[in-house]
Amino acid sequence: MKDKRVTITLNGRKTILVVEDRTTLLNALREHGVTSLKRGCEEGECGACTLIMNGLPQKSCLILAREAEGADILTVEGLVKKGRLHPIQQAFIDEGAIQCGYCTPGMVMTTYALLKKNPYPSDEEIREALTGNICRCTGYLAIIRAVKKSAAILSGNNGGGGTREDY
Amino acid sequence: MKTIKTKTGIGKWLPRKYDLEKAEGTLQFADDLRFGSELLHAAVVRSTVAHGEILKVDDSQALKIPGVLKVLVGEDFPHHFGLYLKDRTPIAIGRARYVGEPVALVVAETEEAASEAAKKVKVTYSELEAIFDPVKAATNNSVLVHPNLHKYEHVDFITPQPNTNIANWFRIRKGDTEAAFKHAAHVFEETITCPQIAHGFIETFCSICRQDPGSGEITIWTSAQSPFTVRDIIAKGINYPLHKIRVIAPPIGGGFGGKAGMTVEALCLAAAMDEDLKGRPVKLFIPREEVMLSSWVRQGFVARIQMAVSEDGFMQGIRNTFWFDTGISAEYGANPVRSAGYTSMGAYNIPNVWADCYAVYTNKPFGGAYRGFGLPELMSALEVVVDIVAHKLEIDPVEFRKKNLLKKGQTTCTGMPMHDHALEKIVDKVVEKMDLHNEEPAIRKGWKRGKGIALAIKAPATPADASSSAIVKLNGDGTVEVLAATMDMGQGTYSAFAQIVSEELGIPYDWIKVYYPDTQSHPYDWQTVASRSCWSMGMAVKRAASELREKLLALFAEYWQTPVETISIEYGVVKCHKLGKSERIDERVQNGFKMPDGILKGGPIIGTGSFTPPDLIYPDPDTGQSSKVVAHFTLGAVGIDMEVDPGTGRIVANKVCAGYDVGKAITPINIKGQIEGGTVQGLSACLMEGMSYDERGRLLNPDFTDYKIATIMDAPTEIECFWEEVPEEISPYGNRGVGEHSMIAPAPALNNALFKATGMRIHSYPLSRERVYKALKAKEKGESDFWEWPYELDLAYMRAKKEW
Repeated sequence: MKDKRVTITLNGRKTILVVEDRTTLLNALREHGVTSLKRGCEEGECGACTLIMNGLPQKSCLILAREAEGADILTVEGLVKKGRLHPIQQAFIDEGAIQCGYCTPGMVMTTYALLKKNPYPSDEEIREALTGNICRCTGYLAIIRAVKKSAAILSGNNGGGGTREDY
Repeated sequence: MKTIKTKTGIGKWLPRKYDLEKAEGTLQFADDLRFGSELLHAAVVRSTVAHGEILKVDDSQALKIPGVLKVLVGEDFPHHFGLYLKDRTPIAIGRARYVGEPVALVVAETEEAASEAAKKVKVTYSELEAIFDPVKAATNNSVLVHPNLHKYEHVDFITPQPNTNIANWFRIRKGDTEAAFKHAAHVFEETITCPQIAHGFIETFCSICRQDPGSGEITIWTSAQSPFTVRDIIAKGINYPLHKIRVIAPPIGGGFGGKAGMTVEALCLAAAMDEDLKGRPVKLFIPREEVMLSSWVRQGFVARIQMAVSEDGFMQGIRNTFWFDTGISAEYGANPVRSAGYTSMGAYNIPNVWADCYAVYTNKPFGGAYRGFGLPELMSALEVVVDIVAHKLEIDPVEFRKKNLLKKGQTTCTGMPMHDHALEKIVDKVVEKMDLHNEEPAIRKGWKRGKGIALAIKAPATPADASSSAIVKLNGDGTVEVLAATMDMGQGTYSAFAQIVSEELGIPYDWIKVYYPDTQSHPYDWQTVASRSCWSMGMAVKRAASELREKLLALFAEYWQTPVETISIEYGVVKCHKLGKSERIDERVQNGFKMPDGILKGGPIIGTGSFTPPDLIYPDPDTGQSSKVVAHFTLGAVGIDMEVDPGTGRIVANKVCAGYDVGKAITPINIKGQIEGGTVQGLSACLMEGMSYDERGRLLNPDFTDYKIATIMDAPTEIECFWEEVPEEISPYGNRGVGEHSMIAPAPALNNALFKATGMRIHSYPLSRERVYKALKAKEKGESDFWEWPYELDLAYMRAKKEW
């Protein structure tokens, strides 16, 4: 029975979720309307439900909603400010790092957490950080290009602007 | 004459349609749609036996769970469905045929109640002997998976063999193979095997169905590649008029063939059409661990290939026997078998061809469409065999391939002439870019490095009459809306359609919107499969856009009293340079033009276009011969530079180079994406994928924990992709499909590179670490070839588990 109240800060706004003991944070937030979090596996394998909780990237399917009491939660919806995309989102679009888009919100959030912690990641560090996010469409190389591009933009070093390989 | 100017037509690199919404997370997939608190939820009760009579379904405990409304069994919805062969029911009737087959469906007020109750339904079976080995099933009829095969309806281009386990037998009989083998200087025989593999899309299956109680009209929201085919299969299955079934296909999170045809829609519909539940929407969301059990996967296969080669290295004959393991249903799986058969010669000019391709029923989850549709299967065997033959003849594998390439005018195995293509140039480029003949030392200490090559070829093996149609609407402000019922599942077709419309109308790309399909609003399209959309639907969209342009120009010509040839559309503005006129497109295109004679003419302007392949003829069922069996072939080549760690069997790809003849690149961003993505999907299949079963037919690796697919750590350091453009004759702009082709050659190229690195030839996919390790150990003992029965590895796991 849904009779437990959980108070969180969701994308900067105080939000109350009404849940059962067994409700995962993923399902609670999806029910609340945050459908950018996807149900890809519901067992922590695919990363499509990744959000940032208290500064760390987390798979929301592995967290019970009640565990999130008082937490500060950021989802991909929270990255869009006044109608403007976050540079990570823009870089994913520009580099062709999106195909079906099902893994994209999770990929973007993991990238966001990576670049907060490590603004200049190497290829190897990018791969390590994103290893828990599965993408079946792109073959990942475009995602690596997008992460590098957003790192360059966010650190103010765009190295001559977004180059597109114009075939 | 076409007189337009645009900067956003075909061939331009532009941001893809709907990527913005995907990046924002606002694009709604089927699971994201909301239906309010009247929504019911269904959960599936699955068979625990591989083959057995269903004696009793006891739902008494399940019905005690609060919120549970109904438990349905097969007899409640006794309809047969299938695209090519109607051999399956949504819920098993009388007999369960694989572990995981739906045997009951629980419907409840909440998802939690439904899945909890599904565990409480008790089903008792009388177990029957099961069969798992496709070769045994094909050659020994002691266990029949479908004793009623003779009763099933099927399309006339497949040939089921009643009273056997063969659901389709496709044959090629070209030339005199017997004589070719008798007189050949060299004859070879090799066998290659591969288990079933899974699509691994990140979005699982999700359908919501509702039937209006009064009118009986059905609405289906579903994660489907082909809404019209879903509607068609359901209409035929339940004998219902098409106009009373509406299929809405929201964006889907990856398809790869796994969401083609009809998948779980009928299962969901069984609940929505129930007399007690009718009127309420019912949602069926398939959890990850049930995905491979709910619909088809890629068929496993055992391939035997014999090749006859002349003294001077020309291929004289080929004999292929392919046993495709299609599990319990060949409703879709009958056709990749035909598709593989169509290309039995690979990319080579072989005058004498004998091929038998069988779709074989076994008591396993079923096989069907998967990216490449029979060709990754065929070519991951054939391209390895060609490599083996070259090495045995001591001819350079590249030279051997080039010497035997199927060139323009030479006939394929079905007797149709090959069209012009750039394969030879592509092979040369791959060799050059990979420095393929240069044996380089391994980058990693103690590892062995090798380079390999393989060719790719594939035609769209659709029914001969697979058609498309489109509507292009011009709005009162010059913006455009396109209704083309292709599913953009990530391949980016809507971007391609918008670029085609921009090319034809001179209207900027950003002013053009392409909508996700709904059978209520969109005109007909067969399916989003076969890499056919930019070609077949591309034709329809191009025709619709040019019709619209001609209508618009004719109105302006009369309005300005000038010949139509003097008018152009430039960047969204209609111009007549002769008269110095320049006007924006405005409400006149919907309300009509007040002509100089005072009469209002025009009205809302729409363009329509249809396309059906004009000249395809089904092959003769006994010989597989036809003047033109497929529309065209896309050809390509892949080179791989890899290293293997002999201590662990781990393989890492350093660099991949992949090139294809796409005819014309409409959306370069998509082609690059398709080549990179398909390459990694192909490598993933080659290195780590395979569905494993225990001796009772229970799937051991149903989720991503156990069924490994490539993560970012497995992607090669570099993929260099390129394409050539030898135009196709019947095509909107000369373009050919390339979406699936990128998955064909990576596996055999990697296998060939492994041989180059180690001198060991592995005949069984996947080239998993343990298999490579074992093979290299066998090599130390002097073995040169390593072969494991497809299910040997699974049995080894079982033995190991018992020992532990």
